[in-house]
Amino acid sequence: MRLPAPATARRGMLVALLLLWELVPRTGLLPELFLPALSSTLAVLWQDRQIYSAALLVTLYEVALAMLIACGGGIAAGAVVGGIARLRELLLPVFSSLYAVPIVILYPVFTAWFGVGPESKIAFAGIYAFFPVMLSTAAGIRTIDPQFILAARSMGATLTQQVTRVIIPASLPTVFAGLRLGGALAIIGVVVSEMLTAAAGIGYLVTLNRTILDSPRVFAALLMILILSVAYYMLARAFESRMVVWQSAGRSPKAAQNESAGVPVSVAV
Amino acid sequence: MQHVAHLDETAIEVANLSHIYAGAQGTVPALEEISMRVGSGRFTVIVGPSGCGKTSLLMMLAGLRAQSQGTILCHGRPISDPDPKRVGVIFQEASLYPWLSALDNIEFPLSLRGARERETRQQRRARAEAMLRLVGLEGFGERFPYELSGGMKQRVSIARGLVQDPPVLLMDEPFAALDEQTRMTMGHELLRIWSTMLKTVVFITHSLTEAVYLADEVLVMSARPGRIIDRIAVNLPRPRTYEMMATDVFGQLRDRIWQQIRKTP
Repeated sequence: MRLPAPATARRGMLVALLLLWELVPRTGLLPELFLPALSSTLAVLWQDRQIYSAALLVTLYEVALAMLIACGGGIAAGAVVGGIARLRELLLPVFSSLYAVPIVILYPVFTAWFGVGPESKIAFAGIYAFFPVMLSTAAGIRTIDPQFILAARSMGATLTQQVTRVIIPASLPTVFAGLRLGGALAIIGVVVSEMLTAAAGIGYLVTLNRTILDSPRVFAALLMILILSVAYYMLARAFESRMVVWQSAGRSPKAAQNESAGVPVSVAV
Repeated sequence: MQHVAHLDETAIEVANLSHIYAGAQGTVPALEEISMRVGSGRFTVIVGPSGCGKTSLLMMLAGLRAQSQGTILCHGRPISDPDPKRVGVIFQEASLYPWLSALDNIEFPLSLRGARERETRQQRRARAEAMLRLVGLEGFGERFPYELSGGMKQRVSIARGLVQDPPVLLMDEPFAALDEQTRMTMGHELLRIWSTMLKTVVFITHSLTEAVYLADEVLVMSARPGRIIDRIAVNLPRPRTYEMMATDVFGQLRDRIWQQIRKTP
């Protein structure tokens, strides 16, 4: 018997999970209060579609602004810290250890400063997502092969050309990896802060419905967050692989074939 | 396109070059009293033990690093900054830009000058394509480095070094990352290209066989601080053939280089 391909197996697992979600509560293995069936979750989602789409818009708006802050600030700060040796030695250990701090402890302070509206969520999630973007940008610049820059200099590149033609493209893969992680953290940051203190957004719907024990509506909100995160992740991956083909392809079969032939193709000796 | 070389002309002249490297544990003399003259159109190979400063010397010839003392003249004018029109540098394969296709890599140095010089995009493309043909990679221009074998990548590197048509070409262990067979083929290819272009080449290697096979003259450097301890003229006829490697003369030359390197502590 042959094992199915990983992609097929993954799809199979997803279907199985959705089936379990439907069957376990239906058969009474778990009460609907703990796990409402998929069908009842989807039903309330459809019923309350206006409420949920309004909440989704609020969340998306907060996520977008938080990502903007985190990506813009993270890339700028990472470029400065990664590019200047003195600053790197001074600041990188500080930022690295700050990254380990559970920044959610700052959220109550943010609500005091910015209120319970979107501003406090944007500020919190923006800072939460800032660190991975900044750290990977700094790492991306720091780990550029010095031969790349040496070669550019030997070919007569000016300092500006070294930055735009070599340093930026060479650090893109690491920066994108940071942006992907930063974006995911921005979503987490927004949802968590909405769950803590808010009057709108998907996270707010989770908390609101949990307090009145309306499980289908809690799960409807969870389902939306799940879909939002997965959709974001897939988008980010697709964008990334399109932008840095040379990185994701790594060792292609074509190169391996040429290598094993020992002698390059079309040798003109 | 071709640079006309006069074999009696001096391409590179190094006089009393010394370099002291300032490290964390104080100063280390890296190069000591190097003097050398490379005739125009000649193929000179530098060999020496690891860490003897061969690469430092080459970087100084390229204007990529400053020496502590001494002068370097290239066709009579001092070298202090990289000048790709006078000196081309070919590194190990790692210096090809992985985000550019083979052709874009070759065109890279031309595109840097593009803004400053009147050369259309089509003209630059045509020059890059001519170089691609010269190194035997016609039809591979759209491939990215990860899609090329080690030998092919090094051909692209050579094409990139030649595209600005500098009279002097410096090569820092360009074939070190290649397997033995590819390395031999590439050495042969390099000689073929060199014979059509009449460039002055300074080539660094660890391989004694490669040194004798390629060179008109082999310079042997001592361990740190690097000095030139021997100059060995290789008077094997050109074009060189693989069969020459089996001859007594070839063996004796290689042996002489090895004896010199072995002497150094």
